[in-house]
Amino acid sequence: MAPLQKRALYGLVFGTVWIAAIVVVFIVKGGVNTFGEDQGFRLIMDGLWIGGLIFFGILMLTLRKQCQIDERDRLILGRAPVVQLWAIIFLLVVWTITLTEIYWEQGIPPIFMYLIFMSVLVVSAIAQSIGILIGYWRMGLNGSN
Amino acid sequence: MAQIKNRIRRLRFDNDEMTQEELAKRVGCTRQTIIALEQGKYVPSIELAFRIATAFEVPLEEVFQYDISL
Repeated sequence: MAPLQKRALYGLVFGTVWIAAIVVVFIVKGGVNTFGEDQGFRLIMDGLWIGGLIFFGILMLTLRKQCQIDERDRLILGRAPVVQLWAIIFLLVVWTITLTEIYWEQGIPPIFMYLIFMSVLVVSAIAQSIGILIGYWRMGLNGSN
Repeated sequence: MAQIKNRIRRLRFDNDEMTQEELAKRVGCTRQTIIALEQGKYVPSIELAFRIATAFEVPLEEVFQYDISL
């Protein structure tokens, strides 16, 4: 496994745990209804996504220093943002359709601005790792020029 | 599949069974890239191609051939 591929795999594993933790805490603490009233809940969520983002950044930087990247890795790395872009577009489409359908009558609560922003950051970070892994997989499958 | 064939594996064996790791170090890439090259799953840049040829001390066309029949 190439060093960059290993780095992406660690990123994906951490990202999955990170997303799961955010979703579980959000649901366990009461979800959308409690979020607006409970400041402690909001601080926990802030800590989770900002802390996770910082940890993710540190993890990637540390692994970056240890890993040798050559032209093939750079090619794959350069194509990864396409996956990031599609992941974000898909996420926004899901948010838009879901919120429109559920809150059409009463209007969308402002908390969703926060949740959309948080989810875009988290998904963007993980999608880069997925993009890198897809790049290696496709190159192994079809080759590349 | 790539239309550019290479003889890297053959040349490694002709050069005292040079390992993929050793070749990778000499040309400044990862061992995984050498593996991908040998399997025909990656076509290198001109610069890397020249570095590989230089490592084997042979002309570029002895390492890489353009397969027009594909």
